[in-house]
Amino acid sequence: MRNGWRTSLIFAAAAMLLTLIIILMIRFTPDPPVSEMKFARETLSQAGKDRADTYSKKLYTDAKKYYDSALVNWQQQNERFIYFRNYDKVLIFANLSIERADQAAENSINSTSTLKIKLKQKIESLNDLVKEINDLFTTYPLTSETRNRISKGKIVLKEAEIVYKKGQYLQANRKLTDAEYLLTYSYDDATANLRNYFKSYPVWKNWVNKTINDSRINKDYSIIIDKFSRKCFIYLNGVRKWEFNVELGTNWVGDKRIKGDKATPEGMYKITRKFDSRKTKYYKALLLDYPNEEDMAKFKSEIAKGSLPESAKIGGLIEIHGNGGKGIDWTEGCVALTDKEMDVVFKISKVGTPVTIVGSMVDLENIVNR
Amino acid sequence: MKNKVLMGLAAIAMVAVLSSCGKKPQAEIDATNAAIEAAKTAEAAVYVPAEFTAVQDSMNAVMADITAQESKLFKNFKASKEKLATTLTLANQVAANAAVKKEEVKKEVEAGMTAIKAVIEENKTLMTKAPRGKEGAAVLEQMKTEMTTIEASVVEAQGLFDKGSYMDALNKVKAASDRATGINTELKDAIAKVKGR
Repeated sequence: MRNGWRTSLIFAAAAMLLTLIIILMIRFTPDPPVSEMKFARETLSQAGKDRADTYSKKLYTDAKKYYDSALVNWQQQNERFIYFRNYDKVLIFANLSIERADQAAENSINSTSTLKIKLKQKIESLNDLVKEINDLFTTYPLTSETRNRISKGKIVLKEAEIVYKKGQYLQANRKLTDAEYLLTYSYDDATANLRNYFKSYPVWKNWVNKTINDSRINKDYSIIIDKFSRKCFIYLNGVRKWEFNVELGTNWVGDKRIKGDKATPEGMYKITRKFDSRKTKYYKALLLDYPNEEDMAKFKSEIAKGSLPESAKIGGLIEIHGNGGKGIDWTEGCVALTDKEMDVVFKISKVGTPVTIVGSMVDLENIVNR
Repeated sequence: MKNKVLMGLAAIAMVAVLSSCGKKPQAEIDATNAAIEAAKTAEAAVYVPAEFTAVQDSMNAVMADITAQESKLFKNFKASKEKLATTLTLANQVAANAAVKKEEVKKEVEAGMTAIKAVIEENKTLMTKAPRGKEGAAVLEQMKTEMTTIEASVVEAQGLFDKGSYMDALNKVKAASDRATGINTELKDAIAKVKGR
């Protein structure tokens, strides 16, 4: 019996000692950085939700690396005997992760909102550019390569708008860069061509003024063809009486240089012959004195300079005729009107009536601003 | 003697209970990671990005819990195991959702493709009926160029579709469809104007 009591006492003492050791172990064991790691993880998660992985990649990657390092370090400390664990490095890495994740989130929010504004502006400006291209160049004879580029640019711009609306700003930015290249390159190319064409504007202006003035002085009709606006204006006594739409040679930009170039010549001409419907296949026609002396001199000068081959011919038979209204430039270099309008022009014209053909009656800046 | 035996059994039972709760649930971790990997392979990040992020966050939290338990003298992974089971179910659900969403997008692209092809064909017919007077033919020429570009864009979208990039294919089809529908409206308006004269 006494032996039993002794054994129980020893067990009780051992149990008490064990409990004391456990209490001491728990009391003096270093606390693992649970709350700091939780905060680091939540900060990183929030940065991810703020799309820092996309818009602040470097900082976000750093934050993620620091978090992983903290976790690995924590696990390494767990391998050690409980008294020898040290979570200082874990804390350092966790805090660095929090700091970087915060910066990444802030950076991402700022970059996203800046990028969003920038992209919106770019989409608007490119849509304006598309409108300008449509206004200026729908009927302008651009090369098929340029037209294809413009068309491709419009589609890519639309794709950019779609991904922008989905909030995929980096992808939208890439697509906008492509669209911008396609559209601005085409626009610059086309406007450079147009500017080159409009270099002759001062000469055209003089011709137009002289033609209107002659109409006033001679108290007679004069005809002015504006190639760019595709208009035929009829003046009487210096006052505009009629305005008709015209169609030109398929290659109407620039002056006519040689036979078969499908260009409509520019210059001050006169009607030399009138053909009624029995004498022309184009309803009615008014033959012009192309090439005049100026055209001949220019043509010879080009041959002499070697810019035209010696075998080149200057061409002729430029007329104002009917059969127009097709809605496209289709002639070999003549000026076509609808038959109904041709009746009016035919009626007021006689041999010797001045016909001035110019690239444009309005300067390029006014056309662009219009 | 009887007491000694009872105490010994109690000690063994206690050790057994403690050791059963204190073992790191490696099999469960591996299973959950495999499920997350499967969700990734199912392109959950593309088709259900928010859900996929939630699964990753959940797994990160569980791993931190496990590490925290490993820091303790008396480890208890019971709660972690439950969380792992929840995350595993979530990962499987996300993978399934991604597959459903992917199928939806695939069907949307297919429907878009069929629709745009019909619009392209209709536009070709409308072009023959569209008025040509007063710059009409020039505008039609421009439209023809645009239709060629749209058709090329549909071919590109088909290529993306065949590669399984349904989202990219969808964006392309939508853009092409928008342009084709715009042209369709312009053509119908122009024809209606002529009829109304």
